[in-house]
Amino acid sequence: MLKLQDVQAFYGKSHVLHGVNLEVDGGQVVGLLGRNGVGKSTTLKAIMGLVPVQSGSINFAGHDLHRQKPYRIPRLGIGYVPEDRRIFPRLTVLDNLRTGFDRQGASAARTEQLLGQAYASFPRLKERERQLAGTLSGGEQQMLAIARAMMLDPQIVLLDEPTEGLMPRLVGQIREIIDVLRQANVSILLVEQNVPMTLAVSDRVYLMERGAIRHEAAASELSVDDEVIHKYLGV
Amino acid sequence: MNELFQDLVVQMLIGVSTGLILALVASGLTLIFGIMDVVNFAHGELFMLGAYMGWVFFTMTGSFWLGLGAAALCVFVFGLIMQRSALRSLIGSDPLTTILATFGISLVLQTAAIWIWGPTVRRVGAAFTGHVAVFHLQFPVYRFLVALLSLAIIGGLWLFMHRGRFGLWIRATTQDRQMALAMGIPVPLVHTVVFGIGAAMAAVSGYLYAPILGVDPTMGVNNILRAFIIVVVGGMGNLWGSVLAAVFIGMLEALAVIWVSPALAVIFSFAALIVTLLVRPTGLFVAVPR
Repeated sequence: MLKLQDVQAFYGKSHVLHGVNLEVDGGQVVGLLGRNGVGKSTTLKAIMGLVPVQSGSINFAGHDLHRQKPYRIPRLGIGYVPEDRRIFPRLTVLDNLRTGFDRQGASAARTEQLLGQAYASFPRLKERERQLAGTLSGGEQQMLAIARAMMLDPQIVLLDEPTEGLMPRLVGQIREIIDVLRQANVSILLVEQNVPMTLAVSDRVYLMERGAIRHEAAASELSVDDEVIHKYLGV
Repeated sequence: MNELFQDLVVQMLIGVSTGLILALVASGLTLIFGIMDVVNFAHGELFMLGAYMGWVFFTMTGSFWLGLGAAALCVFVFGLIMQRSALRSLIGSDPLTTILATFGISLVLQTAAIWIWGPTVRRVGAAFTGHVAVFHLQFPVYRFLVALLSLAIIGGLWLFMHRGRFGLWIRATTQDRQMALAMGIPVPLVHTVVFGIGAAMAAVSGYLYAPILGVDPTMGVNNILRAFIIVVVGGMGNLWGSVLAAVFIGMLEALAVIWVSPALAVIFSFAALIVTLLVRPTGLFVAVPR
């Protein structure tokens, strides 16, 4: 479904991605683990067309993303939840969601259904529908960022460190959301620092170091104290 | 009644009406800056171009309102072309490049205006020529009309931004360009259309000013300075901040005229600018971020 082959990317003059290869199949949850600054977030941005890719290919459901205009990529069915949430702070909660569902080709019935699902998963957002998103708590903003990506009716969601800075109770909630998405047959590419959670929710895991994938395994084959985890994550 | 009191009231009326015309130019400028971080140094020339376009159609048809529509439409299209051809590829790069590009366009437009229409001041007849007596002064009805029209246009822009899908796209893009892209919003199109809207607002303002000042190739340069002061005092990128600052600057200069000559009154605007930059560089009318 989503396949990256030998993706090279630069931030200005610094070479950030040194040939990333990874694959996510339909309905799969794939974890991408690595220390800070190894290029995990940049990999997601490269998929979204937000950092220029120098060479290699990014293929999603038969489309070469490398050749797409960035704003067309989400319309193909890719939702993106960035690291720092990046909700629109001076829009209301509902308007944040509208940036996803108010688009050409989205039927009123489907929109209603998507909004209903989001409010069922995050009742808090329904209560705060008319409130400016910038006034929400960190946890609520995270929920909004995930719900907003879901409004695009995606086939895959790229989640960048969704548990960062959240209370343990909310981390549990993020796990539940990942399960809900999986049941709806939505694939997930999950970038995380939280190793136990990533191993628990993922089907497969990639370990990244210095801009490239160094190891790939089924999540069930790895445990938190494996040597390979120590080597690439230092935990 | 006390003569000073009468002067104050009359000057305040003049200040508010001038302020509201300036608010139109300034809100276009601030809208463009807010969404694409482009300080448009050619904005004064779009103001001038609007006055000329309006004058051309006014002379042809004799209708003030057709002139107004033509000014808005022609400069809107000109703005779309200008943004698409000269600015789009510069957005996101060093601000100096867009400053130089728009400054270059401003020089080209000014020289082109002298070349096409010559340096003579052209006249546009006001839509209403009546006067109302305000104490000892006959106050032109046209100024009231212009103030109301400016408010209506700015109000219309606000409605456009807060209803419909395109308005949502504008607000989202203004807040986070990258995330807007990641939500499938066609950001390049939003930028171009907003530039066109900003240009059209400058054009309408230029045309509304024409019966008061006349139309000449340097009218843009002479008025844009105030618009820049207003945008800074109101807070770069803040629409209602610009409107409030425009009325404030308009009143400040009009009141100053009671005591100093009109040419010196602009000093008060600069003083307001300096105080703003020293005390509250983000603008006097910006809400404190939460």
